[in-house]
Amino acid sequence: MGVKTVPRHGNSFKDKTYLWAVFSGMRTTLKKFTRNLSDTNCIPTCEYPEAQPDDITDRYRGMHRLTHRDDDSVRCVACFMCATACPADCIFIEAEERLDGIDEKQPSRFDIDLLECIFCGYCVEACPCDAIRMDTGIFSIVAKERKDFILNKEQLLSNKGAFGKENSLA
Amino acid sequence: MHIFMVIFPIFLTILFTLTTIPMLVWMERRVAALIQDRLGPNRCNIKGIRLGGLIQPIADMLKLLFKEEFYPKHVKHKFYYILAPAIVFASSFLSFMVIPYADDVHLNGFTYHIQALPIEVGILWVFALAGLGVYGIIIAGWASHNKYAILGALRASSQMVSYEIAMGLAIVSMVITYNSISLNDMVHVQGQLLFGFIPAWGVVLQPLAAVIFIVTAFAETNRAPFDAAEGESEIVAGYHTEYSAMKFALFFMGEYIAMSAASALIVTLFFGGYQIPWFNTQTMHEHIYLIIFLLMFFVPLTALAFISWMKFNNSCSPERQRETHYVSMLITVFVIILESFLFYLLASGMNPEQNSIFVMVLQIASFAIKMLMMNFVFVWIRWTFPRFRYDQTQHLGWRILLPLSLFNIFITAIVVVVAGV
Repeated sequence: MGVKTVPRHGNSFKDKTYLWAVFSGMRTTLKKFTRNLSDTNCIPTCEYPEAQPDDITDRYRGMHRLTHRDDDSVRCVACFMCATACPADCIFIEAEERLDGIDEKQPSRFDIDLLECIFCGYCVEACPCDAIRMDTGIFSIVAKERKDFILNKEQLLSNKGAFGKENSLA
Repeated sequence: MHIFMVIFPIFLTILFTLTTIPMLVWMERRVAALIQDRLGPNRCNIKGIRLGGLIQPIADMLKLLFKEEFYPKHVKHKFYYILAPAIVFASSFLSFMVIPYADDVHLNGFTYHIQALPIEVGILWVFALAGLGVYGIIIAGWASHNKYAILGALRASSQMVSYEIAMGLAIVSMVITYNSISLNDMVHVQGQLLFGFIPAWGVVLQPLAAVIFIVTAFAETNRAPFDAAEGESEIVAGYHTEYSAMKFALFFMGEYIAMSAASALIVTLFFGGYQIPWFNTQTMHEHIYLIIFLLMFFVPLTALAFISWMKFNNSCSPERQRETHYVSMLITVFVIILESFLFYLLASGMNPEQNSIFVMVLQIASFAIKMLMMNFVFVWIRWTFPRFRYDQTQHLGWRILLPLSLFNIFITAIVVVVAGV
């Protein structure tokens, strides 16, 4: 084990006058200031309501949606896997028999309480049919009443995927 | 006219102190934001007109005005509790009174001083009131009956006492250099030229005194990096911990006026006061038409630069494009009016009285610009440096600045005696 001697700074006359360090610090801040003043686009701040964020990746877990089959019917088979996996217990499903011959079972009620949801994405991973996804890219969820935060099946089905990916990435 | 010319400097003082506070608060916040890569407050608006956030101080002021007048129950001496912010505010306000905003104006055989308080002992007045401001802080700390408040008051007062010495000694060397204690005489000296081409500003004549004075002025106004008196990390808010609403606002405004007063004094002592470089009052009277011509040339250029800057940076939404449009129209109209007025002056010729009023207006503008730039330096420094620890502050004051300023007086005195100026 050798001893490493770290060079000590601040003992020279130039350092002890402080003024050089003061001026170099002021130069740094002035450079920032003039750059940001001459072109406010340099500032990374997004002026939110007018300018929407453009850096939402396709792995972003936004509001949920229920996907469709090729014939536009609901893909979900009401297996309850998502509701079982959900750590926040925010998915409420009621199943019914499917009579159109495409499948055996479908949800009659599929509600997600967004106030309970923690956006963990376990439901998406648990789903065996790729029927629930979180790829809508909707990050701002606003409503006036508590009951408006509970999404029903129709609302979930009408949400569109934002990234045009066929396979779920979450 | 006579009365107007006497009232005018007082009006100017009010303009430079009270109306610059919102400007300074705005500047502080926006400059801080731009230095830290943020935008700062810019969302306050009246029907979509934001003026880059200049509406924000109005909102702040309204909030402070309509806040509840709250008196903590443990405050025993309510009189002193209310008196303290008034002292701080008044003393910083009054120290502004002796600053000369323009050279003496000669009108109809009278000589008018463009100073709210035309006394010869200017610099002593500033000192007296800067010392008085400490009483407000001490009383605030004591009357608040709060440990943090009294700690803040102790820090502020001991810091002010120790920096006042170095400040006074720096000023003594300036007094030796200028051979006068009247601020107006000092500015007169700074209107001359050194070697024929350098403006004889105090900062050129006495760089060491300038550094000492500027550093002590920062400490004296309790501004960063010497704001240990309100170090929120250890003593909450210092001496104004127990104050709220307008009583707090008075402290706040007093602080900003003190900052303005300090920068006015720095400008007066070291940066030529109202003097425009290379154009002292005499030269301006001789070359008045050249100056008007230069103004006619540079004012539209500045306006154009500002408008194009605004078009580039303030057009991200239709609402702001509309605002940019309105403001640039306003500026264009203003520039056209100013240009036609200047053209009228050029065409019709000027008598000596108009001449001296014109020179006065230019000098006031020059002083205002210099003062704002110095205020910007105050803000700039605040957002560049971390706060000094309290013992470091005292170390700097007593063991570095005090000997340096004594040394400076020594050198200055030797130079003055040897050169026999």
